[in-house]
Amino acid sequence: MTDILPAKLEPAGALALPSGASAPTVAPLGVFGRPKTKTGWRSWVSTVDHKKIGIMYGTAAMVFLMIGGAEALLIRAQLWAPRQHLLSAEAYNQVYTMHGTTMIFLVVMPIGAAFANYLMPLQIGARDVAFPRINAFSFWCFVFGGLFLNSSWLLGGGADGGWFMYAPNSGVLYSPGHGIDFWNLGLIIAGIASLTGAINLIVTVLNLRAPGMSLMKMPIFTWMTLVTQFLLLFAIPVITCAQFLLLFDRQFQANFFNVSQGANPLLWEHLFWVFGHPEVYLMILPAFGLVSDMLPVFSRKPIFGYPFIVFSGVAIGFMGWGVWAHHMFVSGIGPVSVTVFSLTTMFIAVPTGVKILNWTATMWGGKLRFNAPMLFCIGLITMFTIGGLSGVTHSVAPADTQQTDTYYIVAHFHYVLFGGAFFGFIGGFYFYWPKVFGYMLSDKMGKWNFWLMLLGFNLTFGPMHILGLQGMSRRVYTYDANYGFEIWNKVATIGAFTLAASILLFIVNIFVSYAKSKKMEKPGPDPWDARTIEWMIPSPTPEYNFDPIPTVTQLDDFWYRKYGETEDGRLVRIAKTEDVTQPEHEAHVHLPSPSYWPIVTAFGLPVAAYGLIFSMWLALIGGLIVVAGIYGWATEHPDDPDAAHDVDHGPDGGHASGDDHDAVHDADAGDGDADSATDDEKEVAPVG
Amino acid sequence: MADVATTLDTSFDDAPDPDVAHGGHGYATNTGLSNTKLAMWLFLASECLLFGGLITTYLLYKIPAAGHGPAPHELYDIPFTSISSFVLLMSSLTMVLAVSSIERGDNQRFRLWIVATALLGSVFISGQVYEFSSFVSEGMGYTTSRSSSAFYTLTGFHGVHVTIGIIMLVSVLLLSHRGHLHRGNAETVEVVGLYWHFVDVVWILIFALVYLIP
Amino acid sequence: MAATTHEPDVVHHEAHENRDKKYVLIALILAGLTVIEVLTYSIPDAFGGKASTTLIVALMVLMAIKFWTVAWFFMHLKFDKRLLTVVFYAGLSLAVLVYLAILTVFRFWGPPESHMIKNT
Repeated sequence: MTDILPAKLEPAGALALPSGASAPTVAPLGVFGRPKTKTGWRSWVSTVDHKKIGIMYGTAAMVFLMIGGAEALLIRAQLWAPRQHLLSAEAYNQVYTMHGTTMIFLVVMPIGAAFANYLMPLQIGARDVAFPRINAFSFWCFVFGGLFLNSSWLLGGGADGGWFMYAPNSGVLYSPGHGIDFWNLGLIIAGIASLTGAINLIVTVLNLRAPGMSLMKMPIFTWMTLVTQFLLLFAIPVITCAQFLLLFDRQFQANFFNVSQGANPLLWEHLFWVFGHPEVYLMILPAFGLVSDMLPVFSRKPIFGYPFIVFSGVAIGFMGWGVWAHHMFVSGIGPVSVTVFSLTTMFIAVPTGVKILNWTATMWGGKLRFNAPMLFCIGLITMFTIGGLSGVTHSVAPADTQQTDTYYIVAHFHYVLFGGAFFGFIGGFYFYWPKVFGYMLSDKMGKWNFWLMLLGFNLTFGPMHILGLQGMSRRVYTYDANYGFEIWNKVATIGAFTLAASILLFIVNIFVSYAKSKKMEKPGPDPWDARTIEWMIPSPTPEYNFDPIPTVTQLDDFWYRKYGETEDGRLVRIAKTEDVTQPEHEAHVHLPSPSYWPIVTAFGLPVAAYGLIFSMWLALIGGLIVVAGIYGWATEHPDDPDAAHDVDHGPDGGHASGDDHDAVHDADAGDGDADSATDDEKEVAPVG
Repeated sequence: MADVATTLDTSFDDAPDPDVAHGGHGYATNTGLSNTKLAMWLFLASECLLFGGLITTYLLYKIPAAGHGPAPHELYDIPFTSISSFVLLMSSLTMVLAVSSIERGDNQRFRLWIVATALLGSVFISGQVYEFSSFVSEGMGYTTSRSSSAFYTLTGFHGVHVTIGIIMLVSVLLLSHRGHLHRGNAETVEVVGLYWHFVDVVWILIFALVYLIP
Repeated sequence: MAATTHEPDVVHHEAHENRDKKYVLIALILAGLTVIEVLTYSIPDAFGGKASTTLIVALMVLMAIKFWTVAWFFMHLKFDKRLLTVVFYAGLSLAVLVYLAILTVFRFWGPPESHMIKNT
């Protein structure tokens, strides 16, 4: 389907490589011309460049972080003292539901996607992802899904069933407003983003690696991305299935969770947690990957036990599917089930422990440099270990029975998701900032940022362990005096505002460092003396990534281009960094062409979703937008024929077919992209 | 563990077999597989979990609560459904023959088989519409019981998949009429075919698990 | 599939004709299996009686054979890279295991109506 052009534009049967075709510019449906600009907002809206998309994922996630963070502060302000009425019970329900949903689906997952999009193609030496336009479509689906979800605040209030939306509490009977419909449809749209993104990134890792980069030579972040995307690939359909059941229950009076019809609400719990447990691993694994790539740089040692760290990641991915019912120990699933899931939960601590051991051993005996990224890495290791240990206490069913629905659980999952995933991401921001934006974030402010965040984090969530064991219930909008809850709640609230200050400091750092950077020297391709190949290209990354594409011979390839070892194992420099990095130059590399159609297609989805809530006519319009978007997408040539394509930019050796490799590669990416327009059609149509 | 590592290294190694890398489709990917085909298989693998969830829901809710209308299995017209299952099964044959025709460059026969596939698919969908309407007239609406909701949702999802498949087949037919399909890009048809066969295998499961098991 | 395009056209055509014949044969086998499946409905006694374990096991086996045949031949897993088989069956087996586990937790197995009919 490479050439779904109107027949007049291309002679029949002439399937020249798209790059070679010289058809005139096409404006499908006569609406949009081919986007040309490389600057300004149009270039962002129409971009298919994985780097720009990665930056947009990160930015959007930070905006949603502000929203989710504000919700968190509201919760903590409400719990400052007993019997406060800052928030009503109803408002409180909405705020904690939306806080959880926002942080999980619109902050942590997208930051993972931001790193995966920006970094993974660079780490494997690819020009872009396998399907650049689908990549843009995924991003816009996520943004529109997130905006749709949050628009519920303006249209009658947010969802109020908790982020796991247990049935039958989520039914119309108990939640007659539209909040849960917004939650349901918004997450289905975001799910389309995750699913298409997962397919795209898996194909990229498997198919588009630089010559010589076998799977076991990939950086660990790329490995963890692969595992994460497989988890998404298999977990998203399960939650989508559950959400469709809920949707039909609420919209069309189906009886999936209608207890008076003999339906079993536990069905929702099972489907939700079959998705939900792999979900927690797919949130943490990208951060694990980042840490595994950063620690060796700041320890000046290779990662300890690369195969173990890779396979423990894969093992976590597998075992993550067998533990879901530990979220349901008190739901009456029976002693046998409880025992089985207790055991599997204890076992999954093993591969996680392997990782902790590997990181510690990587630092052992290394020449440690305590820059901001390193501090955040160490923060992750320690905080995640605490969260992991409290997690193991949940696997002991009798203890878990006491802990369920108390603040102890809240403490646990914030230690793993904030102390784990988020510390890793902030560390990753500090580490990769020069590569992405071409200037360094201030290390001094970064250290302040770290210590403030560590302090605020522990003040907020540390006391929750105690509160939980004292019996304070989560999801209750207030508490009575004289239970001994007051003091720890005050500490937690102070901590939460400290935490907010540390995030603010990070944002200030971005702007201050940018202002200072104008007077300072550019950081160059390799400011950290790093190990993986994304550091051998100029900072910020040029549009074409690599030119030429490197041939990889070993793990940490870039490092071993700089350093060798003497016979007694001492490290010696064998080449200057300037000699092994790629200089910036004007390159005429043929890149995937930008397109407006992904955003148009994605825009139809929230319109259709509003329609399902408010008026079927609107749903019809949304459906038509999706169909028109797919049609425009399919009839648009995947590669802009006018784009430059004249120089050979194949890999620097390794492949016999030097001459045509580049053309073949480009055609490949383009071809696949066009084809999968039909691919989208399938996923999109049932929704639209 | 090192053994596994080596196996992984060799089985997915780059520097693909030259025949594969530069054969028919001109792909030079690490696996030797085209991006599109790999993407379609990944998508189908994920669809297994979607349909698995719906089938599980149906199995759990197979029997309606007392006093809530007839159970779906009391209404099944097995001879009728057998015929429509057979029709869908045969559409897989015509699909595979279509792929085979385009691979040897026989456009005439290719279009014939595609039309046949789309028609067989449409017959199946018509059968489903007829089945649904007769069930409704026998007193089993969508909201009648937990069983009816589960039945219509499962078979409805499958029906929507078949319908999308028909739309894809028609698109392929139009492409072929405009002269855009030939041996060189037969893979496009093959990928659409994969989707079509998948829809067929899902029905194989539904036919046995939902209709035939008493 | 890709490799065959390199061969001379004659060989190529013959190979395809042969393959087409095989496809028809496979379809006939599938049709035969479907007939047996339907027989479990029309003459259940030949399979140990209606709702007997034998009948259900027979249906499951027939279903699995049909599924595998379509995937292996019609979906070209036989002729394609093994990676595709691995990917697809990974998803399928994950689905089967997870959903069987859910059914087990719901005590689905055993005599009919022992599960779910009560509001648990």
